[in-house]
Amino acid sequence: MRKIFEKALKNKKNSADYIEIRAEKKETTTIHFQGEKLEKISCSQQVGGNVRALVKGGWGFVSFNQFDDLEDKVREAIEVASLIGKEESKLAMALPVVEIINQGLDKDFRQISLREKKKLMENYNNIIMKSNPLIQSSNVIYTDRFSTIYFANSEGSYIEQQKPFLSARFTAIAREGDNVQMASESVGTTKDFGIMERISTKAQKAAFRAVNLLKAQSVEGGEYTVILDQTLGGVFIHEAFGHLSEADFLYEDERMSGLMKLGKKFGSPKLNVVDDGSIPDLLGSAKYDDEGVRTKKNYLIKDGTLVGRLHSRETAAKMNEEPTGNARALNYRFKPIVRMTNTYIENGNVPFKDLLSGIKRGIYAKDCYGGMTTFEMFTFSAGEGFMIRDGEIAEPVKDVVLSGNLFSTLLNIEGVGNDLKMIESGGGCGKAGQNPLPVSFGSPHLRIKKVVVGGR
Amino acid sequence: MEKFLQQACKKVDSAELFKVKSKTIPVNFEVNKLKSIDISESEGKALRVINKGRIGFSSSTGYEDFNLMVEKAVATSEFGSEASFNFPEEAKRSEKEKINIHDKKVVDKSIEEMVKVGEEIVKRLKNFSRKLRCDVTILKDYSEIEYLNSQGGNFSYNKTAIAYSVMVQKIKKQDMLMIYSSLESGKDNLDVEELTSEIIENLEWGEKIVPVESGKMPVIFTPKAALVLILPIISGLNGKMVLKKISPLAAQKNKKLWSDLLTLYSDGTIDFAAGSAPFDDEGVKMKRVPLVEKGEIKNFYYDLQTAGMAGVESTGSGLRAGLQSEPVPGISNLVMEEGKISFKEMIKDISEGIIIDQVLGLGQGNIISGAFSNNVQLGFKIENGNIVGRVKDVMIAGNAIEELKNIAALGNKAKWIEGKFKFPHIYLKSLSVSAKK
Repeated sequence: MRKIFEKALKNKKNSADYIEIRAEKKETTTIHFQGEKLEKISCSQQVGGNVRALVKGGWGFVSFNQFDDLEDKVREAIEVASLIGKEESKLAMALPVVEIINQGLDKDFRQISLREKKKLMENYNNIIMKSNPLIQSSNVIYTDRFSTIYFANSEGSYIEQQKPFLSARFTAIAREGDNVQMASESVGTTKDFGIMERISTKAQKAAFRAVNLLKAQSVEGGEYTVILDQTLGGVFIHEAFGHLSEADFLYEDERMSGLMKLGKKFGSPKLNVVDDGSIPDLLGSAKYDDEGVRTKKNYLIKDGTLVGRLHSRETAAKMNEEPTGNARALNYRFKPIVRMTNTYIENGNVPFKDLLSGIKRGIYAKDCYGGMTTFEMFTFSAGEGFMIRDGEIAEPVKDVVLSGNLFSTLLNIEGVGNDLKMIESGGGCGKAGQNPLPVSFGSPHLRIKKVVVGGR
Repeated sequence: MEKFLQQACKKVDSAELFKVKSKTIPVNFEVNKLKSIDISESEGKALRVINKGRIGFSSSTGYEDFNLMVEKAVATSEFGSEASFNFPEEAKRSEKEKINIHDKKVVDKSIEEMVKVGEEIVKRLKNFSRKLRCDVTILKDYSEIEYLNSQGGNFSYNKTAIAYSVMVQKIKKQDMLMIYSSLESGKDNLDVEELTSEIIENLEWGEKIVPVESGKMPVIFTPKAALVLILPIISGLNGKMVLKKISPLAAQKNKKLWSDLLTLYSDGTIDFAAGSAPFDDEGVKMKRVPLVEKGEIKNFYYDLQTAGMAGVESTGSGLRAGLQSEPVPGISNLVMEEGKISFKEMIKDISEGIIIDQVLGLGQGNIISGAFSNNVQLGFKIENGNIVGRVKDVMIAGNAIEELKNIAALGNKAKWIEGKFKFPHIYLKSLSVSAKK
């Protein structure tokens, strides 16, 4: 690949300020059980690539499946970029890197037969279906994917990175008359197949929770003090705050960047938030991001104060800050944009039972169906909810959707637990049509006052 | 293609090959400026086989690896579902049944013209207010679909699409007002004025933030927000959800469930709609399928495999979510019949209530049960028949299957959403609203 890339980049360096070429080879296997039946089993192979060129501040991007005429693609990208470019290109410095990174897997899923994978998932599906007569159906979806990503740019970088990905998602659907409820559990990992062999408790838990939801009453709408578990805490910091830290929202928008001014107070001194793509083997990890920049640990909030944000090379240069290694592309169809990697709230010092104490009427919200944010407003759905009455966890409630304004909610965090857990789920993060990008997130238990909960 | 298929059929009973080639060009404006132009070319094929009565599937973007594709499809068929259908024989659409989904003007539209459209949109919005941030995408898409199976079924068509989408943002201290709007069509006939005037109207209504008390109140869903109520119905009418008895609507066919006003049909034969095509993605003719008539469920929608299992006919609703996916029951275009009342008359009718235009968390939560609970990302308060301002920190919640029993009125002017849904305004007598104190 290196030779093909170098040939295509040769002689082009003077017609653009910056050019990069990316290629991706991947093989995907999917196994899907629904109810009693194997719904789908499939294998796909994809080969694709893209060229991105920067001319006078304007970007041209061409993606394709056909590599025969790579030089033409480079020319095409430069041409469209030239249609836009009217100013000076700005790109933060990144030292050229030449490196080939292979991912060692103890139990390589590519060596496991389709038969064995299918048998394992069938097992998990049976656990769900046979756990309780009220279980009506299930969805067990297994995916494995092995990608190799090739990257070269006009500054002399050439990087090959292997990216394995495995996920399993268990959904149990319980039904009693017209009352249909579901619960999901999922696991995602970049490591070996062994992890997939040890998740029967996840299947049991999904079934157990779905059946329990049948008994739960719908939550009453209103304003509550809530405690978020590690998953929801992680989703909250990812959705509500993390996305606002992505500098591509800010760098050309004075009003937005005014709102996200470094040094501004964002929460109590107990609040510390980090994004770190360099933690080994988490879902959001990689040695280099998709612009060839080394990933690292970036503090976003330190002692309650905004201290950093996430950058691509372009946003870093335009805001006069350092690149953070957060330019990521979902696959070869997309250009890299500023994304989170592994985002978490650091441990505080309050034990879980102390977080509960003193809450007369509140909600303990656990797990997550999904979350969404548009700048300052966020919403996310709990997978499981309980009322808190007089400092004790009480009856289950369902359809718990939390919503609010980021800035006031961060300031309303009253307690930060001491039980941080990183969550690696099979889902992912979506932005600008690039979905699902593997990320991980985490948090200790959090206590937040004055959260609006929707309800009937 | 034929050669490939013959090759596959040496190893299996019957086979089907689906091939896509497409080119998408989005022109992106960020913060009022032209930022990037992308050219995305893609191609690939999907092979579905029936081998010893079982379904196998594989897909690839590559060129020289058809043998590998056949091998993988055969390997997956060993464990695949039992096929409850045969690939369809050749079907023809008569001249009368011809559908227009291709506009040469879209194919020929130059990038420079697309840039001009984007500039025009930004200019109009900036003329209304200098303080706006506008992100605009002008996109054109051209695709070629080819289909062939070993029963002789075959078709091919070319399809075009063009879309203008806008996100406008206005920041005032810590309040961010965000409005998005888009138009999409297969034909190069989109109207910039229609797009910008709607946004400007919303900006005017949203100037002031007004408080709302929690409680039950009348609400109007704009066509843009109607999916909040319709998404659970789409999921509940899916033949597969019915077959698996997951759908709460499974036993409700031919029963009166909702308001007389509610009539819904799917129709893949509407000229230039985003979901239209002569055939679905597995060779069955697209047609109009009545789903709900005057509040009564008339049909569920099916692909071949699900229909076979349920002992019914495919409704021509076998759609692929992408090249890597087998066909599953899906909605081509969905139309809700209009009512008789104008949006203005609805507003006049309400002494205290809200209009919902954009929500956060669409489709998030337990959709199959019908439950929804959303943050009102853009909504307006009505007092004594007038819009008085924008609401904030407000949530709505309910169960779509229940709420659609209490439709007060439907609007008399339906609007296309995402090029494939056509909905009128939906006025509900009462819905639960929670607000921050």
